[in-house]
Amino acid sequence: MYQATNISYRIGEKQLLHNVNLTVVPGKFTAVAGPNGAGKSTLLKTLAQEHRNYQGEVLVNGKSARVYSPRELSLVRAVLSQNTTISFAFTVQQIVELGRHGHRSTRRENDDIVDEVVALTGLEAFRDRSYLTLSGGEKQRVQLARVLTQVWEETLFPRYILLDEPTSSLDIAQQQLIFALAKKACSRNIGVMAIVHDLNQAVQFADDLYFLRAGKIIASGEAHVVFTKPVIEETFCCRVNIYRDPCNNCPYIIPERETFSEPRSVAINL
Amino acid sequence: MNLALPLRDYRTPFLLTGLSTSLVAAVLLSLATGAVSIPVNDVALIFLHKLGLFQHVPVDDVYDLVLTSIRLPRILMTVLIGASLGVSGAALQALFRNPLVEPSLIGVSGGSASAVVLVIVFGGAWAIAPGHWLYNSVLQLTAFGGGIVATFIVLRLSSQLGQTNIAVLILSGVALNALSGAIIGLAIFYADENQLRTFTFWTLGDLGGATWDKLLVAGPLLVGSCVALLFFAPALNVLALGEAEAYHSGANVERVKKQVIALTALAVGISVSLSGIIGFIGLVVPHVIRLGLRPDNRLVLPASVLGGALLLVLADIVARTVVTPSELPIGVVTALVGAPFFIGLLLRAKRKHEL
Repeated sequence: MYQATNISYRIGEKQLLHNVNLTVVPGKFTAVAGPNGAGKSTLLKTLAQEHRNYQGEVLVNGKSARVYSPRELSLVRAVLSQNTTISFAFTVQQIVELGRHGHRSTRRENDDIVDEVVALTGLEAFRDRSYLTLSGGEKQRVQLARVLTQVWEETLFPRYILLDEPTSSLDIAQQQLIFALAKKACSRNIGVMAIVHDLNQAVQFADDLYFLRAGKIIASGEAHVVFTKPVIEETFCCRVNIYRDPCNNCPYIIPERETFSEPRSVAINL
Repeated sequence: MNLALPLRDYRTPFLLTGLSTSLVAAVLLSLATGAVSIPVNDVALIFLHKLGLFQHVPVDDVYDLVLTSIRLPRILMTVLIGASLGVSGAALQALFRNPLVEPSLIGVSGGSASAVVLVIVFGGAWAIAPGHWLYNSVLQLTAFGGGIVATFIVLRLSSQLGQTNIAVLILSGVALNALSGAIIGLAIFYADENQLRTFTFWTLGDLGGATWDKLLVAGPLLVGSCVALLFFAPALNVLALGEAEAYHSGANVERVKKQVIALTALAVGISVSLSGIIGFIGLVVPHVIRLGLRPDNRLVLPASVLGGALLLVLADIVARTVVTPSELPIGVVTALVGAPFFIGLLLRAKRKHEL
């Protein structure tokens, strides 16, 4: 498990995370939702050990994340950041191969893994294209392929991928594709944690769902259980209505027009 | 770092052998040309003599003297400096994640140069004067120090949340170059007649001062830093993704950054202490290599070593032959080629909205 226990993080006077507890279970898709500035990215960066001066403990497969070296950690978890800019004309193949940087595997093993992931992400036709000439959706798929390549091989220990709003500024088809790929990774003993902007997508793909506001977890639990009108209204300060998809019974929300509710102080118990 | 990744470019061996052969040819040409031109077969003969072969064939003593005590150290130094500047440029571009970076442009060379000038003018106060047995070492050490300080300043100024802000980077270079210009100007103000003439040539780049003595310490250091930089190629590749991404991929980013900065400052600093500021080699060479091939640093770095050496040897031939028996400052030649090249790059970047 990839576990945050009582994580607090502050920059100067500003408390960005406040006693956050979160667990990413291998084989499950864990989504984090919340308004802008809630501390979602900060939480992800803390989990990834990009921020290190936090209070509390991050446990990776039962061991404190602080004792891992950058290389050891890279064998257990991969991270897809919000925007990755590259200013050199690397080919798609080369970018995906960079996912194998920390590994000590043979060329053959690397090639097999890269080939498998490239096929899975539908990038075969792009292999020799320059990364700089790709569209936003293609770039994001390449980055996801790189991240998957990093943790793809079956190991005795579970691996994790952390995705920071992987679909922002992509069209709906590309968004569905990225999430479907991440979901597929779950079947390889990989735990997925994703910050998801679109609530309907969050509930569609996630097994576990966390709602974060102002650095605090408002509610958490199984996605279908915690996805309720009061929780969402409390988190986003916005009136919403919940409906159900008649085909698969999956809930979805539609925000109400031009209404703002004051943040409510009622505690929500689930 | 994973060394088991394939280079996947069939042109790689062709490029590297092509560059090596051209370099050997250029070195031979350079040994033969100059104020006294020595036929290539005499050059070969003198080398064979040193190896104890063909002793019965007489060798012209003037040729021997010119070759072994003037031209050979000079050309060896040219090769080493060209290689150092080429590979440092490539490594700094990878580190700053921007193809417009170059040691003299961002102020690294200037930092080294101003440190050296201060020692030349004011070193006498601490009994460090030419002729002192530690003189060359002190010069090289301060050049290294000046380079390191300059690189750290530029890196700190230009990085924003792990990304390089290219506008701030170039402007930091302008500021550092202005500062080192002022320091050099100040030193010139206090300099005597002799030092003054040395400076004028030295700030334009001067390969004429090569001796075996100087190369004794500087040579191994230059070779060492170039070779060491080659080992950073995989780490610099993953750094192209960004600092945070490189860390997530398993690179020890802070350590890589510090080591690459130290090694490039060493290579550039020593080069500057030997020959003054020679610009644009580190910009032009990696760029031309990347034009034809993909930016994989496992290829770009070694090719920049060879390409840098080749370009500087050729520039040196030009500098020594166009105005014989005098010679043009080498920095003038490289700037005449490099500055228009840089302007071209800027235009291209502007057209692509990269600036």
